[in-house]
Amino acid sequence: MRALDIAATGMSAQQLRVDVISNNIANMSTTGYSPRRADFADLHYQQLVRAGAINASDGTVVPAGVQVGLGVRPAAVTVTWEQGSLGATGGQLDVAIEGRGYLEVTLPSGESAYTRDGALQRTGDGLIVTNDGFEVNPGITIPDDARDITINANGEIYASFLDHVQPQLLGQLNMVRFSNDNGLEAIGSNLFLETGASGTPLAGAPGQDGLGTFRQGYVEQSSVDAVREISDLIEAQRGYELNAKVLTAADQILGATTQVR
Amino acid sequence: MDNAGYTSLTRLSGLMREMSVVANNIANISTTGFRSEGLIFAEHIAVTGPRDPSLSMGTAIAHSISAQQGALEQTGSEFDLAIEGEGFFLIDTPDGEALSRAGAFIRNDAGELVTPDGNYLLDAGGAPVFVPPQASAVAVAPDGTISADGQPLTVVGLYMPNDPLELTRRAGTTFTVESGVRPAENARVLQGFLEQSNVDPMMQVARMIEVQRAYELGQSFMDAEDNRIRDFLRTAGQRS
Repeated sequence: MRALDIAATGMSAQQLRVDVISNNIANMSTTGYSPRRADFADLHYQQLVRAGAINASDGTVVPAGVQVGLGVRPAAVTVTWEQGSLGATGGQLDVAIEGRGYLEVTLPSGESAYTRDGALQRTGDGLIVTNDGFEVNPGITIPDDARDITINANGEIYASFLDHVQPQLLGQLNMVRFSNDNGLEAIGSNLFLETGASGTPLAGAPGQDGLGTFRQGYVEQSSVDAVREISDLIEAQRGYELNAKVLTAADQILGATTQVR
Repeated sequence: MDNAGYTSLTRLSGLMREMSVVANNIANISTTGFRSEGLIFAEHIAVTGPRDPSLSMGTAIAHSISAQQGALEQTGSEFDLAIEGEGFFLIDTPDGEALSRAGAFIRNDAGELVTPDGNYLLDAGGAPVFVPPQASAVAVAPDGTISADGQPLTVVGLYMPNDPLELTRRAGTTFTVESGVRPAENARVLQGFLEQSNVDPMMQVARMIEVQRAYELGQSFMDAEDNRIRDFLRTAGQRS
């Protein structure tokens, strides 16, 4: 019986939605996290009576036919990109990105990964790394005797030294963006990898070509909207219950069928 | 089986179909741009013989697609488009052009707007909508004009089927129509919104209960018919 299978597709779709929502809620406090949304599309249609077929009894043309849909399937889980609010930390190496764009980091494998998490640290050697210790591109080293670090909107890092009047330029943080943010592959730890669907990283000057700017002393907070997630959760839960109800009703019809004699 | 049995069988199999339709509507309660459907039953007259009375049966002969506007959900994403009013987006699929109300588009690596399945959204001229990857501050006007940084780029096409009755459903929240399409006049595009499924859960649950009860009624009718034939055979057997 079709209705049983259809209700099952509906239940698993709502289940996936709950999974996506729970991951969003779990990442409510994750730096630079953008919420995901599950999108659905209807499954296949069975054409029982084709539209335009000739009605056998009187020769008229059937205008609409009979089509029975076979349920629902997940179409995509998309990232709803929204600027998170900026939380002031006062940290000298904390940079938030205002607007679109990613910082580029090098993984231990040598691959490039991209992140919006700008809570940066420095290693014992003075190298600028992420919280997880991945080197930020291009590799910038802060000398031991640097006193004050300033990062401007363009990502240029300046340090002042006792023996210099003017602050010295140490380097500039890379900022890249992608044609399709949704095509990026999330690998956890706030990192993304380039894929065939995301397009190649488009480098540019911050503040131009659709790129955002850096802001020192802030980190971008998660842009998860708790109220929205909870209302979505309720919707998903009720959707699940409705599909479960269909399952029960279909089962009862099937039960009635077995009693026909 | 006698005629009464056949008549109730057509009813029962029609109800089974209707149950599938209701189940499909409820399964798609969270599907962006989904339009709920219904079945239309019609009397089907079968000629039984030159002297016998004809036989009337109920068959599901056609389906209807609800054109009711679904609720608009604000998402804030720049390529989420919802249509207000009558009209459809035109999607270029491998099987030809199709109409759709599902407006969750994604800009692909080449800068074209595509559906989650990777099919192209077409503009008013029938070409894929292209938004340069470098373009920032992309805005979509109610008439479908896409502009970036104040410069108009292209116009999202809004279309209507020439014959709304001919809409044929296809997977992926799309419809095909054989008689072709024409530009829609009474439709507006909203950016940052998605049209939710227009399935009314109350109606569907009510319909589901109705189907369930009607099915049980049909089943008890067949039981009664079975008993009638049994009684007849028993009585006829006793007489002989």
